[in-house]
Amino acid sequence: MKYDFPFPYCGEREAGEAIAAALQRVIDPEMALGIVDLGLVYGVEAEGAAVRVRITMTSAACPVAGLIMDDIVRELEAALGTDTQVHVELCWEPPWAPELMSPRARRALGA
Amino acid sequence: MGARAHEPPRAPRPGRVRAAGRLALVAIAALSLAAGIAGGLARMGAGSAPPVAIAHHAALMIAGFLGTVISLERAVALGGTVGFAAPVASAAGAVLLLAGLPSAAGTCWIAASLALLAASAAIVRRQALPHTVLLAVASALWLAGNVGFTLGAREGVIESWFGFLVLTIAAERLELTRLLPRRPLARVCFRAITALLLAAVLASFRGGLAGGVAFGLALAALGSWLWRYDLARRTIHASGFARFAAAALLAGYAWLACAGVAWIALAWGCIGARDLALHGVALGFVFSMILGHAPMVLPALTGMRMRFSNAFYVPLVLLHVSLAVRVAAGNGHAAWRAAAGRANALAIALFALLVIAALVRARQDRGGAGAIMEGPDLALCRRP
Repeated sequence: MKYDFPFPYCGEREAGEAIAAALQRVIDPEMALGIVDLGLVYGVEAEGAAVRVRITMTSAACPVAGLIMDDIVRELEAALGTDTQVHVELCWEPPWAPELMSPRARRALGA
Repeated sequence: MGARAHEPPRAPRPGRVRAAGRLALVAIAALSLAAGIAGGLARMGAGSAPPVAIAHHAALMIAGFLGTVISLERAVALGGTVGFAAPVASAAGAVLLLAGLPSAAGTCWIAASLALLAASAAIVRRQALPHTVLLAVASALWLAGNVGFTLGAREGVIESWFGFLVLTIAAERLELTRLLPRRPLARVCFRAITALLLAAVLASFRGGLAGGVAFGLALAALGSWLWRYDLARRTIHASGFARFAAAALLAGYAWLACAGVAWIALAWGCIGARDLALHGVALGFVFSMILGHAPMVLPALTGMRMRFSNAFYVPLVLLHVSLAVRVAAGNGHAAWRAAAGRANALAIALFALLVIAALVRARQDRGGAGAIMEGPDLALCRRP
């Protein structure tokens, strides 16, 4: 079933709304923009107590990927409960491009 | 507490041994920094230091401290274990230099820069974009400087090392400009400036006027370009850490441009411009970058969380004000210059203390200090 989430999502709608709200609290500290607005979330799957999140980074040379991934886990556990099994996968395909940013992020950056 | 499972290939949170290893590398880098600062103060007549620190102030600051930190950043970004050869070799070089063995230190730094070049090449294979290629080019400049240092070259070492630092920072900023509207002319200018900088570094090994003028011109142009086109022009309107980082960046770009002009003057024989040329780059630009990014990068390197606070503005402002006083005092007012030099060192020491305090507070909170910033910056997003 297709939902209107800002990233590809597979799972129950209610869980998806909680996940989307949680992910929108995770920000890239250097740009002061959220990872969802930046288009870094490539997909989310929620099944039972397990949540899988696929993300990318704008730069392969960025050393803070681990911090952002930890923030994702922390926010999802806070939103869904500490029994949640959170899997975060960092991937580089397809390559991130500025076109993946949300309209509000592009407006904020003057595009 | 539920299980927290992470699948590869995520950048792994360091286990205890690896975290301790990273912390040891940061500690050695900090030791090199402290010795380098002591040597610099002694050179100004503002303190005393061991002879090796006085003789090798630049090597301790650039190769020993910054080379180790930049290599560690690259290793963490790359993931895995092999990438850590570069920071380990760089830290070994710092230890050997402090032990009074400059040739052995230089050999370690040659190995470190080769390893950094290899790690940078791996990142280019992962993401072949101008900024990742530029990071690899910058690593090659560190290699060139390290070879020159080890062979006792009289010219070109400082330009190579500064080129390494300046292009590393510029590459990371270039990456962020992808988020901004496309400006073809700006991209062409950036490439021209980079080409000029590389040509100037090569020319500097031969000594002479042309290399010095070209190098200064490239620095001035780069500082101006970054001031005009960098993402910091936007994030200065954000709040919290992002605003702090932007302030540090913009101040640094202004110093870089001024240092470039001073470098040109120095090449033409104006000896009085030397301090602004060298320390406008090293303190005004590079250290402003360090202060601006450390609250974000240190947690990434050490695995230890910390929260930004406005107290970090104090050492940042002190750094820039004291540098301005130092440069204005010049050689004609030695006492003022020495006092300003001590204030430069105090700014760095104060910043280090604030960082340590923030790390200790985070450990005491035990999970209360989460992200460096809470939530997206809605002010930034609301701007039309």
